[in-house]
Amino acid sequence: MSKALARKTPLPSKEATLFKELLTLYETRQIKKGLKTADQILKKFPEHGETLCMKGLVLTHMNRREEGIELVKKGVRLDLTSHICWHVFGLIQKADKNYEEALKSYTQALKFDKDNMNLLRDSAQLQTHMRLYDGLVETRHTILKLRPNQRQNWIALAVAHRLAGNPEEARNILEHYQRSLKNVPDYDTEHSETLLFYISILEDLGDFTQALSVLDSNSRSRSIVDRTAILETRARILTKQKASETEEAWHALIQHNADSYESYRGFFASQGISLDHPNPEALAKLEEFIVQLPRAAAPRRLLLKVASGDKFAELAKSYLVQGLTKGIPSLFVDVKSLYVDAEKRDTIERIVEGLREEYAPEKASANVEPTSYLWSLYFLAQHYSFLSQPAKSLALLDIGIEHTPTLPELHLARARALKRGGDFFGAARAANEARLLDGQDRFLNTKCGKYLMRAGMVKEAEDMLGLFTKKDAPSPAADLEDMQSMLFLLESAAAYSSIGRPNMALKRYLAVKKVFDDFEDDQYDFHGYNLRKFTINIYLKLLSWEDHLRSDPSYVTAAIEASKIFVEVSDDPSIVTTLTSSNQLTDAEKKAKKKAKKAAQKVQEEKKAAPANDNKELDPPPPKDEDPDGLKVIASSDGLEQAAKLLEPLKSLAANNIDAWISIYDVAIRRKKLLQAVGALKRAVALNADHPELHVRLVDLKLRAASLPKTPPAPIGPVFTAALSKLIPAEVSLETFNSQYLQRHSANGKAILAAARVLRRLEAHLGEVENAVFGIFAQDVQLDIPTAVAAYRFLSSLKSSRTEDFSTAAQARFPPSTVFKAPSEQAALRKVVLENEWQVDAQDEKTTAET
Amino acid sequence: MNIRPVRVEDLAGMQSCNLQNLPENYTIKYYMYHAMTWPSISFVAEDHEGRIIGYILAKMDEELAEGEEPRGHVTSISVLRSYRRLGLAKKLMVQSQEAMAQVYRASYVSLHVRKSNRAALGLYKDTLGFTVHEIESKYYADGEDAYAMRLSLKQK
Repeated sequence: MSKALARKTPLPSKEATLFKELLTLYETRQIKKGLKTADQILKKFPEHGETLCMKGLVLTHMNRREEGIELVKKGVRLDLTSHICWHVFGLIQKADKNYEEALKSYTQALKFDKDNMNLLRDSAQLQTHMRLYDGLVETRHTILKLRPNQRQNWIALAVAHRLAGNPEEARNILEHYQRSLKNVPDYDTEHSETLLFYISILEDLGDFTQALSVLDSNSRSRSIVDRTAILETRARILTKQKASETEEAWHALIQHNADSYESYRGFFASQGISLDHPNPEALAKLEEFIVQLPRAAAPRRLLLKVASGDKFAELAKSYLVQGLTKGIPSLFVDVKSLYVDAEKRDTIERIVEGLREEYAPEKASANVEPTSYLWSLYFLAQHYSFLSQPAKSLALLDIGIEHTPTLPELHLARARALKRGGDFFGAARAANEARLLDGQDRFLNTKCGKYLMRAGMVKEAEDMLGLFTKKDAPSPAADLEDMQSMLFLLESAAAYSSIGRPNMALKRYLAVKKVFDDFEDDQYDFHGYNLRKFTINIYLKLLSWEDHLRSDPSYVTAAIEASKIFVEVSDDPSIVTTLTSSNQLTDAEKKAKKKAKKAAQKVQEEKKAAPANDNKELDPPPPKDEDPDGLKVIASSDGLEQAAKLLEPLKSLAANNIDAWISIYDVAIRRKKLLQAVGALKRAVALNADHPELHVRLVDLKLRAASLPKTPPAPIGPVFTAALSKLIPAEVSLETFNSQYLQRHSANGKAILAAARVLRRLEAHLGEVENAVFGIFAQDVQLDIPTAVAAYRFLSSLKSSRTEDFSTAAQARFPPSTVFKAPSEQAALRKVVLENEWQVDAQDEKTTAET
Repeated sequence: MNIRPVRVEDLAGMQSCNLQNLPENYTIKYYMYHAMTWPSISFVAEDHEGRIIGYILAKMDEELAEGEEPRGHVTSISVLRSYRRLGLAKKLMVQSQEAMAQVYRASYVSLHVRKSNRAALGLYKDTLGFTVHEIESKYYADGEDAYAMRLSLKQK
């Protein structure tokens, strides 16, 4: 027997009663009393493990977390065979989101109290959370055996079987359960959900006939109460069966909700009619729907897709006229997907140009609203901006704004057109003009904040967004982060990157990662909750959503961009020293920082001042921001490991994203994971062998392989060498490989820049590299502003003397753009972005005074 | 624009739409809570590319006294400014109300609106037929009063 076991002696009856009291006090959250009781026991029995654990647990609810955890650990050590000690330990680990360890503790606890329902339930939740479905089935089975009278225990076991991939078992359990059911009340949503779950299992098993018959009989008897679900399930199953009633089922769904595109698609697919091509059959059917469902928008819009020629022109005209006279702001966005068909695009242009003339003030008849004219200008401005004719777009907007200066949409469209031309300051200014026309509208405020970010005015953007964030938050950024605003975090990160503050960019990208970690944790409570509520069908969808969570483009971007920063710092650690030594903050920022610090302090103090007795949550309090500038994290010694972890989910969830594979390569090769690195490039080649970034990596890999002190031992070495020779031919020199690549892609700006970077990597003469970079300005080369900016940065990194020439050339290529202007010019432009604030405000006052 | 019942994968899009549009914001878990408890009464509007451009987030009142009839509540409804005047708010509201009445037998639906939000007030009153039931003083975090509005679902 171990020492701990030997020491375990039962408490005398007085203390034993006190201990029972302590448990009740904790369960009823009478925390302060609980502490007193625990101390009473410990006075006599300071080494009583279970009491120590309970006291520790109580302390964690009283803002004395660290101390509490220490006591729990001590208590467990003193009583290794107590289910209470292990249970408490598990609770604490669970609250720390250390699910793996928590499950271990629960398993220990169950050894000493195998039928404890709380332990079993918590274990099941942990097993679900960690997707340990075989273990889950076992736990759910035990629970059902102990409490067969509880309905949810049957359902829970069926769910476990379904998750473990045994639909057959799930079906058996559910059928057994249904036979035992008596007296189900009418309109029982729980029973209804169970039946829908049962039907979905039958569907999974391919038993469509049975599924349908269960659905139909239970819809008739009103045991299934959710009519939308009935109709959807019916249509879905019939479609799978290719049954003749399919058409009718979709028709019923359309009647039920006439604006669901899915139902129309289902309806037409069931008849073998395409909705994606001009098609007279679809046209006739849709016209019937329009008569039947005059308020529905979907069939009218679908009509434009399937019509062609004169018929299209006729339908489009009435659609556009209606949109313009009603002043529907989304009209252009709505129809632009028709532009894949150039004929339709030209028809639309012709129609709206005609309407603009018709509606023009000097010509329009009295019954035309002046706003129709305005909306036609707005439409055409977006149209031309979309077709890369920014000058034409801007000219139209100028006419519109002169006609009616108070329509925010016109100013926003102007902002977008300017942004497309690279005039980021002008764009921000225009967005602010839009915002000033309706200061109560958060949508306009968000746009303005976004455009300020695009202009690199991070501080101004945060202040702007702060007009709508919570006033008691430490800062606007803190509130937006708490509210999980991806838009803010990603725009802010990109803005910080663009102004040379990778530390802050990294901080924001990692905040995105944290949001996704939270999304993942958030499911935890629902593992128990949904079973109690019987909302099983949506719960199963939640689990599968969680399993694919990090395929979300926001996560993918954040993971890739953060990795790039870690890689850059790993290649050039001096970045960090420069960042740390240069005091980056402007005066305004310093002031804001001070203010934020004060506010944060106040929040902390208020929390402390709050009575520390009842009902503090078990979860640890949000930690204080120990790294407000991201300078610590960017200096992490394990940056590459962090990057590898960030990228790991992308291997399966963003497997078609070439940028992901390139980042995976960059990180793997620096971590000396040769097979991972070569494997990543193999995936990238399969996606797009000519990708400029990939070209740079192929050469990089070859050079790094050549500089290995010796070939790694088998099995890695030979596999690596073989894979490498498949990626890049051994017989061609890298110089030739590069010039061949350039020849193949001589009209592609990105490819030219990639070739220049490779030249540099091959230690070509500076002049040669510079010439290669300037190649992007050659006639007929496709070039966009981001590529030109990247080229400029590359030149600067070479300490080239030709950066000014480059800026001049880039400015000539992109006349409206502000990004190639000298810092002093940029400063002047930046100054006027928000300058008109007081003017408009003053105007406002004047109009208010007049009315 | 497409109107359909909410799916789990819409929740983040709803949240993003809400953050762009309204001053009352919630973490994703609150959206989850709605969908996990009352999966069939929240709806979304999406554009041609599947982006969420409007939503209604709805719940049922959980604190019913003995014998009281169930009632629905709109936690949040919004449509992006750039997609207004299409009647989306009304379509979302109607779908949600029908589901509340039909799945949970709701007798009426309630919602809160800022006293200063005249545009929303107009929508609820004139377009959707809500009436002001009472004024809840200092309902919002910033101290503003709310109109508590109701619409009966019975005659449907």
